[in-house]
Amino acid sequence: MITVSGLTKQYGGRTVVDDVSFTLEPGTVTGFLGPNGAGKTTTMRMTTGLVPSTAGSAFVDGRPYAALPNPGAVMGTLIDASAVHPGRTGRTHLRLLADTIGVPASRVDEVLELVALTGAARRRIGGYSLGMRQRLGIAGALLADPPVLMFDEPANGLDPEGIRWMRGLLRGHAARGGTVLLSSHLLGEVEHTVDRLLVIGGGRIVADGPVASLLGSDGTSVRSADPAGLAADLAAKGFEVSPGDDGALVVVGAAPGDVGAVAAAGGHMLSELRPLQRGLEDVFFSLTAAA
Amino acid sequence: MTTAIVSPSRPVVARRTSPSVPRQVGLEIRKSLSTRSGLAVAGAAVLFAPAAMAIAAGASSEPLSTVTGPIVVTGMLSALALISLGVLATAGEWTHGTVQTTYLLEPRRSRVLATKAAAVAVMGSVFAVVAAGLASGVLALLEPGASWNGGGRAVLMIAVAGAAFALIGAGVGAAVGNTAGALTGIYLLDLGVLPILQVVKPAFADKVDPGNAVLSLAQGTHQALSITILVAWVGVATVAGAVMTRRRAVQ
Repeated sequence: MITVSGLTKQYGGRTVVDDVSFTLEPGTVTGFLGPNGAGKTTTMRMTTGLVPSTAGSAFVDGRPYAALPNPGAVMGTLIDASAVHPGRTGRTHLRLLADTIGVPASRVDEVLELVALTGAARRRIGGYSLGMRQRLGIAGALLADPPVLMFDEPANGLDPEGIRWMRGLLRGHAARGGTVLLSSHLLGEVEHTVDRLLVIGGGRIVADGPVASLLGSDGTSVRSADPAGLAADLAAKGFEVSPGDDGALVVVGAAPGDVGAVAAAGGHMLSELRPLQRGLEDVFFSLTAAA
Repeated sequence: MTTAIVSPSRPVVARRTSPSVPRQVGLEIRKSLSTRSGLAVAGAAVLFAPAAMAIAAGASSEPLSTVTGPIVVTGMLSALALISLGVLATAGEWTHGTVQTTYLLEPRRSRVLATKAAAVAVMGSVFAVVAAGLASGVLALLEPGASWNGGGRAVLMIAVAGAAFALIGAGVGAAVGNTAGALTGIYLLDLGVLPILQVVKPAFADKVDPGNAVLSLAQGTHQALSITILVAWVGVATVAGAVMTRRRAVQ
């Protein structure tokens, strides 16, 4: 549903987005991860034509965004929740969007209820908190129930309950066949929401793949009554063993089943056997540090 | 945040295409009048002319020969206020960042600017006519013996001035992209530079002052020159606005 190819943005001689390419398929939530200034928001703005690209192309539903007959009905976008007129009420803001997209006014009440802003709908947006503005932005993006959602840092200002709700919303959207691109610097939020990760650093895509494969496995942690004996047996079988915390052994690159087989063959009694997985934070820093 | 609805209760059917031009013009008018600043400027534009007329007619001790001059001069005050309405319609979007939402829903920037221009022209002419109508009513009450010959033409020219000045404001606002900057620049030019020019180089000022052009049109003199002056002001402002709008990134 979203195809980005060779997208590049230069300001003067400075390249802020460098040859970014990816394709987002329906039914998936993709996390767009990167440190501040990595080029996430610029990539999103170029995808929607808000910022002209220096090179490359972006297609939504097979067309450049500007060529979509009614873009708001195809892609719901939240890039900057503060981009609203503070003098309008939440309801007026959404009514204007609804009339532009061409959805009935009753849909405004539905999305207001969906984001729990019904009670504040008649208040001016200038009096909204950041979280309320964020929810108003999400409501605007959902007006036409579009097949594609592109949210930039949607959890900013949301309380834990709101973040959980949003996670359910995005997962539910993907489960109904929708395409979701979620940019965030909140690693926990991304780790629990997305199927796939796009990691950008220094304007370049440094990793692209399913969450599970990117997080990968670092080996196995095993705890035995006779660690020295188990270490010797594992080493004899060619495994690389190093000491872990509190007497545990770390078997680098090994699956728990392989370690368990060696332990069983040697008659070792185990009190712990678990895979070691890198956290998203470790992956993030290792990928973006070099960029 | 207590609900976790992930799908709408019934399918949402959105329009397949972008709104028609008349509908989009209507939306732009609603956008302008859905803020306190927009309403305040519209209200001020409507009230300036009758208020000025009441003060002028009340203070005048000599009988009025014709209504054309007073209607045009007081109407020009309303037209000057309508510059702000145009500026708010375009520069206001950049100042508040709402231009992002506008271009996300209608990425064709030329179309957006065209519909904004149509919207401010409609609002400018309507508010100017209302202002001139109210001013005429005040004049009729306070100067019952005045000749109304040319009064209709004067009101019509104020309608033209309202539309033209609102368009100039919209064009300059789009070009500058900042409400405070656009308002300061345009009023400094209109209320500062042009009056000084009228004193220093009156012949040249007559060839560039849009206010004089409106007055000449209402009085039926220098028709071609007056139309050229107004068209040039509107044209330059609109082209500058269109060029800058197309080039400017929405950050």
